Amino acid sequence: MTQRKRTKLVWAAWFLAVLHLVVLLAGFFAPYSYDTQDREHPYAAPMRVHLVDAAGRWHFRPFVYGLKAREGSLTAYEEDHTQMFPVNLFVAGEPYTVLGRFHFQTHLLGVQSKAGVEAPARIYLLGADGFGRDQFSRILYGGQVSLFAGILAATLSAIGGLFLGMVAGMFGRPLDDVIMRVGEIFIALPWLYLLISVRAFLPLQMSSTATFALVVGVIGIVGWGRPARLVRNVVLSARERNFVLAARGFGAGKFYLMRRHILPATMSVILPQMALLVPLFMMAEVTLSFLGLGVGEPFPSWGNMLASAQQFHVISSYWWMLLPGLAPAPVFLACHALADSWQEKLKSAV
Amino acid sequence: MSSLNVVSPNPEQLLRVSGLSVEYRSASGGIIHAVRDLDLAIGEQESVGVLGASGSGKSSLAAALLRLLPANAEWVAGDIQIRGKSLSTLPRAELRRMRGAGIALISQEPALALNPVLPVGRQIHDVLQAHFTLDQTQCNEKSVAMLRAVGFDDPERILRAYPHQLSGGERQRAAIAQALVCQPAFLIADEPLSSLDAVTQSEVLRLLQRFRRELKMAMLFITHNAGVLSALADRVVVMRAGEIVASGKLDELGRNADPYVRSLIHPEEALTASNGASTHGASTRGDVKNFPSARAYAATVSATSMNSANFAEQTVRMPQQEGSTPLLEVVGLTKEFTQRGFLSRKKFTVRALDAVDLSLRQGSAVAVIGRSGSGKSTLARVIAGFERADEGQVLLQGVPKEKSQPIVREVQMIFQDAGTALNARFSAAESIYEPLVVAGQGTELERRQRAVQLMEEVGLDPDWYGRPAGEFSGGQKQRLALARALAADPKLLILDEAFSGLDLPLQAQMLRLLLDLQSRHGLTYLLITHDLNFISLFASEVIVMDEGRIVERTTPLRMRESSQSVTQQLVRSAERMHAPGLEAMA
Amino acid sequence: MTRYLLRRLGHGLLIIFGVSLLLFILQQAAPGDFLSDMKLNGQISEDTAKVLRAQYGVDQPLPRRYGRWMLSVAKGELGYSFAYNVSASSLLAPRVLNTLLLSVPALAITWIIAVPLGVVASAWRGRWLDRFFSAGTSLALAMPDLLLALLAILIALRTHRYPVGGMHSVGAQDWGWFARMKDLGWHMVLPVAVVVIGSVSPILRQVRSSMIAVLDSSYMRAAEGHGLRKWTLLFRHALPAAANPLISLFGLSVAMLLSVTLLVEVVMSWPGIGPLLLESILSRDLFVVIGAVMLSTLLLVIGNLIADVLLYAVDPRIRVQA
Repeated sequence: MTQRKRTKLVWAAWFLAVLHLVVLLAGFFAPYSYDTQDREHPYAAPMRVHLVDAAGRWHFRPFVYGLKAREGSLTAYEEDHTQMFPVNLFVAGEPYTVLGRFHFQTHLLGVQSKAGVEAPARIYLLGADGFGRDQFSRILYGGQVSLFAGILAATLSAIGGLFLGMVAGMFGRPLDDVIMRVGEIFIALPWLYLLISVRAFLPLQMSSTATFALVVGVIGIVGWGRPARLVRNVVLSARERNFVLAARGFGAGKFYLMRRHILPATMSVILPQMALLVPLFMMAEVTLSFLGLGVGEPFPSWGNMLASAQQFHVISSYWWMLLPGLAPAPVFLACHALADSWQEKLKSAV
Repeated sequence: MSSLNVVSPNPEQLLRVSGLSVEYRSASGGIIHAVRDLDLAIGEQESVGVLGASGSGKSSLAAALLRLLPANAEWVAGDIQIRGKSLSTLPRAELRRMRGAGIALISQEPALALNPVLPVGRQIHDVLQAHFTLDQTQCNEKSVAMLRAVGFDDPERILRAYPHQLSGGERQRAAIAQALVCQPAFLIADEPLSSLDAVTQSEVLRLLQRFRRELKMAMLFITHNAGVLSALADRVVVMRAGEIVASGKLDELGRNADPYVRSLIHPEEALTASNGASTHGASTRGDVKNFPSARAYAATVSATSMNSANFAEQTVRMPQQEGSTPLLEVVGLTKEFTQRGFLSRKKFTVRALDAVDLSLRQGSAVAVIGRSGSGKSTLARVIAGFERADEGQVLLQGVPKEKSQPIVREVQMIFQDAGTALNARFSAAESIYEPLVVAGQGTELERRQRAVQLMEEVGLDPDWYGRPAGEFSGGQKQRLALARALAADPKLLILDEAFSGLDLPLQAQMLRLLLDLQSRHGLTYLLITHDLNFISLFASEVIVMDEGRIVERTTPLRMRESSQSVTQQLVRSAERMHAPGLEAMA
Repeated sequence: MTRYLLRRLGHGLLIIFGVSLLLFILQQAAPGDFLSDMKLNGQISEDTAKVLRAQYGVDQPLPRRYGRWMLSVAKGELGYSFAYNVSASSLLAPRVLNTLLLSVPALAITWIIAVPLGVVASAWRGRWLDRFFSAGTSLALAMPDLLLALLAILIALRTHRYPVGGMHSVGAQDWGWFARMKDLGWHMVLPVAVVVIGSVSPILRQVRSSMIAVLDSSYMRAAEGHGLRKWTLLFRHALPAAANPLISLFGLSVAMLLSVTLLVEVVMSWPGIGPLLLESILSRDLFVVIGAVMLSTLLLVIGNLIADVLLYAVDPRIRVQA
C-alpha cells in the first residue's frame, strides 16, 4: 500500500472512531438535551462565538451575545450587544445518561446566565428549529440513532449473509439454488420499495426503542442478499482450490476445511463489504425516518430532522435546518476509504 | 556491459539496441531492474533467440521494442533504433503504423490475443485497415489468403466465427494469422509455446518456421526452451537478471562452461550430473524470486553413480521381492462424464476412462503420457480418490480401496498449479505440517521441527519457515507442495503435470530432487505429463493414453520403435521440439 | 433466441411471483386484519365490512386466498382503496405514467453521461481527468439523495427560475398541447436532474472499472501491438468486451433508479407512485400499497428484460449458451 493510501486509511479510521465516541457521549458533548425547547427563540440562526466584542476589546474567554428580535420580524434575530455570555467549559447542565445507565451532569460547553438578572442564555452553535431546540445537540443525539442503526443493521446483514452464504456454498444443490434464487430477488428489487413495503405491514405506532429495533431488523433482514451471494461465491471458489483438495488428501473433514481454509477467505470479503454496508444502511434509516416510518418525535434522527425542513418557508429562510442532511456525507467517505484500503490489504495477502 | 555481438555494425540495421535499461516500480514501492544496460543488434532476415530463466528480463525487452511497457515500468536509459530511426523520439502516429506492419508481436498463449466478442474476420480486418487503405473485398481476399497460409481449409468459416467457436489449436493459428497479416519485416515471439501441449507446440513451431522462410522475416524468439531454438535461430543470446551473459551459435553455447548457460542449453544435465549438485548461481537467500540453489540438499544426497543414457534403468530402487504384490493396481477403471446443454435435449457422454488396467511396482517411476483430453488427469484423480470411477477397482498393496473412503494418506498428489495448491496465507511451515495437524500428530514444536527438516530436504532455506506461502516463487511453491506431501508419509506420489509450467532448467532440478527423495523415502512415482521432456532420464516405464484407453505400455528406450500412431505422434513432436533427454532415447 | 427470451421471461415472472408471495405473507403476518382497522373508520359500516370480507375471501384458507388474489391481479384488478373509495388500479394507473415520465428520461440521461465519461476515465487512467471524475463521483455518492432533492427545492425557491415541485402549473389543463408539453418539460428539469445526479456515480465507476479490466487483458495489449488506433481500440474493441457486466448493471440500475425516483417524487411533490405509496402506508390502505409495489416490480422486470435483450445482441458468448 502506498504511503498516501496508508495515511488516508489512518485518517478515516481515526475520524470514525472519534465520531462514534462523540456520538456515544452525546450527552456530554451537546450543550442541551434533544428535547429542551425554547419557545422564545424559534428558528434562531447559528450563533457566532466571538473573541472581540462590539467595542473592539479582546476577551480571554470566548463569548456569545444574547438574542433579541429584529425590528418588524417574528423569527429573525440579531445579536443583543448588551448581553454577553461567556462560554464555559465543563459546565453543569441538564442531567443525561450514557448507555442508559450512567448518569452525569457535566457538559463540555455551556453558557450560564445569572438567574433573575439576565435573560436565559442560549448557545446555538448550529441554530435552532421551530421549537427552539438546539440543532447541534440534536444532530449529536440523532447520530446515535442513525450511526448505530447503520452499524447494527450491517452487522445483522453480515452475520445472516455469512451463515446463509456458507450453507449455500458448502452444501451445494438444492439448498444452494433455493437460497440464491431468493437472494437474487432481494438484490434485484428496488431497496426503498422493499424496505417501506416490509415496514408497511408492521405497526406504525410504537415506542422509540421498539421502532429503532424494528428499523434495524427490517434493514438488516432485507439486506442479506448481497453479503450472502458474495460469501457463497468465495466459498465455492475456495472449495475448488487445490489446497482444499490437498487437505482432503490428508484426510481433512468438512469442518476442518471450513474453519481453517474457507472461513478466513470469507472474512477477507465480508469485512470490506460490511464497511460499505454501514453507510448504506445508515442512509436507509435516515430515509425511513424522513418518510415518517422510522424513529419519530421527539427523539431525533437525521432523517426526521430533515422532514421538518421540507416546508418551503423553512428551506428558503432557515438554511441550517438542512445541516442534518450533510452529516452522513463524511461518514460515507470515511467508510469507503476504509473499505478500499481493507480490500487492497486483504487482496494482497491472497 | 559491452556488447557481446559478433555481427558487424551496419548503419541501416533492422534493430539496434544500445544500453537499454528498464525499471519496474513494484506495488510496495521497491524498484526492480528488469533490463540493465543491454546491447543487441539484429540484421534483416536474421533470426535471434533469447534464452533465459523467468525473471531474466526477456519479456520486458520484447515489450520495450514496441514501446508497449506496462504503466508501472519505465524506460530509464538507452536507445532503440529501428532501421536507423530512434524509437524514443518516434512520433505516436509513426509508432502506431510500425506496430503490426513493421514489427509484430506474438505473446504467450496466442489464443488469448483474440477478442472474445468480435468475429475473427473483423479482428483481422481491423489490423489490415489500421495500416492500409483497403476496401471490404480486398480485406477479405487478404484475410482469406492469410488464413489459408496458416493451414485452414475453410477460411470463410473462420472469418465469420467467434473465438469460442474454434478449437484451441484453431485459435492459435488464427491469432498468428492476425499478427502476420500485414507481413511485417520483424517478428517478436515472446514465449509463444509455453502454455500449449506438446503436439500443438510442434505445430505452431512448424508454422513459424514456414513463415519465417516465406515472408523473409527477421525474428526475435524468446524462450526458456533451448531445443526449440536449434530449429529456428541463427544466433542465440542468453539473458540473466536483465543482462546478456553469453551469445553465439547454439552449438558454441552448448560448449560454454558457465553453469547458468549450461542449465539452459542442456537442462538434462541436472539429472545426469554425477555429483548431483546443480550449480546455479543465485542462492536462496536474498531475492526470493531468484533461482533457488540446490546446495542445501546436494550435500545430503548420497553419492550414487548416475551416468547418462541408461540412467533411469539403473536408478537405485527399494529392493523388491519377486512375486510380491504391486504397490498400486488398477483394474478395469471406467468413468463417463455426461454433459447436457442447458435446456437442450442433447446429452453427450464423454468416456474419460475406458477399462484401464495398471500396475505399479513399489519403488518405480512410471510416466503416463498423452494429449489433453486423453484421460490421464482423470486417472490420476481417481487413483488419488478425488473422483469416483463408475466401474473398476483401485487396489493398494492388494487391498481394494473402499468406496466410502477413497482418499488415503499413502497416496498423495502434487498439482500442476502450485499457486492454487497452497493457501497463500499459511506460512511455509504451516503449509508443510498441515498433514500432521489434520492427523493430530505431534506437538506444535515437533511439527515445526519436522517442517524445517522437510524444507531442507526439498532444497528450501529453513530460515524462511515463517514466510507466507504466497511470497515464494513458482518453483519454490512446488517444493513446498512436495514437502507437504512428504509430511503425510506417502508411499505413492502422483505428479499431475506438476512441473509443466516451469522453466526447463527448473523442471530438471525438480525431477532430480524427486529421484533423490525416492531413494531416501522409498517412494513410488506416477508422473502425468503431456510432453516427453526428461522422461527417459526419469521414468523406467511409459504408459501412453488416448481417449481414455491405455494404448501402449513401453519404456523410454523402446518408444521410438512404437507401432502406435499416438506414440509416434508424441515422439515426433518431441523430436521437433528437441525435448531434453531425447538423445537418451536413441 | 426465443428460448433465451423465454428463459429470461420465466426468470422475471419468478421475481414477480416471489414478490407477490412475500407481500402476501407479510400481509397475513401483519398484526390485525386491515379490515378490522377499517372498522375504526366510521365511514365503513359493519355490513359493508362483512360484504367486503366475503368478497376478498378473507375468511378462506391461505393458498386459496393467494390464488384468488393472483388471479385478480393478473386480470388487472389490484384491489380496493379504502382511503379514496375507488379501485386501486384507477389510482395507480396515472401514477405509473408519471413515474415513467420521470424515470425513463433520467435513466437514459444517466447512461448517456456515464458510459462515455467512464470510458474516457479508464482510457486516461490516473491522469487529472480520471482523478477529477473519481473525486466528483465520490462526492456525489456521499451526498444523500434527500439533501440533493431539498437543495433543488432551495434553488427553485431562491432563483425563481424553476417550479417548486409538482408536475403541472396551475390551470395548465386549459392550455394548448404544445404549451402543456413545454410546461411539463419545465417541471421535469429539477427532478430529473436530481435523479440523474443521484444515480450516475456508481454507474460511471462501474463502467470505468469494467473498461479497465478489459484494457488490461491480453487481447487488448495484442490489439495495441498490432497498431490499431486509440479510438478503434476503445470503442470498437474494448467497449463491446466490457459490455457484458455493464448490461447486467443496467438491470440493477433500474432498481436503484426506482428507489431514487421514489424519494424525489415525495420530496418534490411529483405525482408518481412514490407519494401515493407513502400515503397509503401511513393510512393503512394496504391494497394500494401492494398494488404499488407490484407495479414497481413489473417496471423492474421489464427493465431487466430490455437489458437481457441488449446482452443477447451484444455478447456472442450468450448466444452460444442459448
